[in-house]
Amino acid sequence: MAKAAELPLTDAARADARRLRVHGSSWLWVGGGVAFALAALLTGIVVGPAPIGIGAIVESAASNIPFLGLHSHLSASDSAIVWQLRLPRVVLGLLVGAMLSCAGATYQGVFRNPLVDPYLLGVAAGAGLGATLMIAYAPGQAFNGDLLPLAAFAGGCGAVVITYAIGRSSRGTATLVLAGVTVTAFLTAIQTFVQQQHTDTLQAVYSWILGSLDTAGWHDVLLLLPYAGVSAVVLLLHRRVLDVMTLGDEEATALGLNVGRIRVLLVAAATLGTAGAVAVSGLIGFLGIIVPHFVRLVAGSSYRIVLPLSILVGGGFLAFTDVLARTILSPAELPIGVVTAFFGAPFFAVVLRTARGVGP
Amino acid sequence: MTALALRSLSVRLDGSLILDSVDGCVEAGEWVTVIGPNGAGKSTLLRAVAGLVPRLGAVEIAGHTELGRRELARRVALVPQSPALPPAMTVAEYVLLGRTPHLGYFAREGLHDLEIADAALARLDLVELAGRRLGTLSGGEQQRAVLARALAQQAPILLLDEPTNALDVGRGQQALELVDALRREAGLTVLAAMHDLTLAGQYADRLLLLDRGRVVAAGGADDVLTDELIRRHYGASVRVLHDEDGRLVVVPTRRS
Amino acid sequence: MKHLFVSLLAALAVGIAASAVSAPAAVKYPHRIISLSPTATEDLFAIGAGKQVIAVDNQSDYPKSAPKTSLSGFTPNVEAVVAYHPDLVVISYSPKGFAGALAKAHVRVLLQPFAVTFKDAYAQMLQLGKVTGHLKEATALVARMKARIAKLVAAVPRKALTVYDELSPDYYSATGASIIGEIFKLFGLENIADAAPGAGSSGAVQLSAEYIVSESPDLIVLADTRCCGTSRATVSARPGWNTISAVKKGAIAVIDDSIASRWGPRLVNFVNAVASALRTTQK
Repeated sequence: MAKAAELPLTDAARADARRLRVHGSSWLWVGGGVAFALAALLTGIVVGPAPIGIGAIVESAASNIPFLGLHSHLSASDSAIVWQLRLPRVVLGLLVGAMLSCAGATYQGVFRNPLVDPYLLGVAAGAGLGATLMIAYAPGQAFNGDLLPLAAFAGGCGAVVITYAIGRSSRGTATLVLAGVTVTAFLTAIQTFVQQQHTDTLQAVYSWILGSLDTAGWHDVLLLLPYAGVSAVVLLLHRRVLDVMTLGDEEATALGLNVGRIRVLLVAAATLGTAGAVAVSGLIGFLGIIVPHFVRLVAGSSYRIVLPLSILVGGGFLAFTDVLARTILSPAELPIGVVTAFFGAPFFAVVLRTARGVGP
Repeated sequence: MTALALRSLSVRLDGSLILDSVDGCVEAGEWVTVIGPNGAGKSTLLRAVAGLVPRLGAVEIAGHTELGRRELARRVALVPQSPALPPAMTVAEYVLLGRTPHLGYFAREGLHDLEIADAALARLDLVELAGRRLGTLSGGEQQRAVLARALAQQAPILLLDEPTNALDVGRGQQALELVDALRREAGLTVLAAMHDLTLAGQYADRLLLLDRGRVVAAGGADDVLTDELIRRHYGASVRVLHDEDGRLVVVPTRRS
Repeated sequence: MKHLFVSLLAALAVGIAASAVSAPAAVKYPHRIISLSPTATEDLFAIGAGKQVIAVDNQSDYPKSAPKTSLSGFTPNVEAVVAYHPDLVVISYSPKGFAGALAKAHVRVLLQPFAVTFKDAYAQMLQLGKVTGHLKEATALVARMKARIAKLVAAVPRKALTVYDELSPDYYSATGASIIGEIFKLFGLENIADAAPGAGSSGAVQLSAEYIVSESPDLIVLADTRCCGTSRATVSARPGWNTISAVKKGAIAVIDDSIASRWGPRLVNFVNAVASALRTTQK
């Protein structure tokens, strides 16, 4: 006999139930996020060292629409700049920013710690080692073709697998985090050693580590898209589950969830996307921490709003940061990791001071 | 009809035996309170029933012994001693979490779930506080939120782990009265672990006295709450009295 | 008896005085030289001091006859170097007081850092000549280089063209504040990297692909072919690069990485490569 406990349901209760649709105002935030991302996209297309007017760009875009009879007046060089250099770069920035922020928010939920970023379990160290090995031992293939991103991707995923093998425990997440620290230290040591043995690779590895979008083309976008897509979809589907996980392992289990399995699934999905992002754009830091926190501060802490908004705000933020990285010292480039850290660090300091009020 | 039966329930943690062949049963609609000194295994007993610790022996819920995690969560609602109350979460969101065992893995709450949660809020007088964040509530309000969440779970068995520990005498009494009222309204079966012997005696139908993992006494308050048993198992000097209306009171007597 | 004693004393005094004056001091040039700088290695062998060199670092791959060892000029080990008992160590880089450590071990050190101008590069060759006793050959080498370079420059009619020099596939480029920049100036070329802020003081800056494409330089010089697999083909295949003037005309010069990163006698090769690439643009 499994008679569910009956509660007196009054008509007033039924009518008021809609009040509980907790996210009526959240559509406003999502709209804001979309607008932000779009603004970043447009700014990224229009701004750059080469002076190309907005009108010309619009005309060039519109000339692709049939039956309008519009022709692009851009030179071959300008057209290449806008459509083959700027646009894929902005799109990649949106994708990478979205992915890192989403993964960061997920990790903060899985580990119930507001200070974790998606590199916690060793993705960064593994990808860095993979890239360094590729640059040191197969430099010809490293800079042309897909072997460098592939090596970084494999390294990143491999590191997390090792971390899990060492640190998985039925008693919560502390062991896992410590395993991540251990694996990161170990892989970084190997990477440093390899770099010392091949000092001619130092500059290349260093600039890869700092992160950059400046060699981006449509090719990189297509490379990242499947991983980021799968990862984002899986994580978004788990929004409600993430909210339950904030209660801790015990209570979540008492509510019927298989916490261990969920954790593996979420970490796997987040790692897939993070490794992909790192593989094509190097190590871009701070995004994974600050964007989810910013979203929580303004829009609430339920993952139902934090995840989608992190995706939008994170993508827009990175795209805007990239615009700064390529215009502040134009025509020279600032590594994008520098710009995100430069703006991220003071912001993070503010978050730390107010973090007592808001949890993950 | 036996809602919950424990047969030779044993729990071993970190090498030591916390529960040793515990037998007992709770009838549908009954309130059974587990009492015992510190370390007796009261909390562990509740957690074993909720499926949170590996166990030997059987926990039978309405006749079923091996229930899956979700199925178990639909039948047993646990109100923990120190519930995790994410400070930024609103009361409404928190209570809605109680619907988790009834939802598909990727599913969102439906209208029905919202109605149940809303009813739980109303029953626990939390409607005005629905939009407030948990971190801004008082202890008593937080306790009501946790009860509301358990209620929203619509589980026929309610496990309460030290429900009055963090509450003052007034709030504690209110909480217990509430549980009693819910029990009568909704036909809940209650298994509670409690420290306070007087309150335990006043609210439970039956008591189970646990000491070092074993059941050493079971029965009504008059049978279990005796000077002798309490002295033997708690090492405390008390007198069990009855006031003019026959209510049982356990009075600690200071050895002078 | 007294006379004998005085005579012996006198003889002793004369003997001591004589040995004090001794033979005229033969100038001893170092003959156990270790070079931890690939450029210094090239310089030493080019001025005829190769026989005095007993060991060179692991990056010194030119000339091939140089006694290459596993010594590192980048992360040098004092003990390993001293174990060779050198009488001169030439370095271009002194990390963490390496030069001081060598001095403490009573080893003579010559620090010849990265040269930013031709003047500095020539000065280093002359200094090595003086120190190793080959000043005449060093002077002749410098004169030869100057003449050769002047001839190469004169053979190419000057046109105001723009150039992009690539040091790595992520668009690091040499600026005017480097020897490479000086070479370009010799030919009257305008280096597109000089428009970048900081190009005046730093020898290299990172540019963006968009800037390079929009500037459409007339000449591209690749100095990253050996390290990073860059080639004329890969450069032409980069998105949007097919609109660049140099790519369209095929005016892409390929310089061996080691030549581009050193400041020794093979600078002439660099100048030659630029000259012949320029001749392509004339067609």
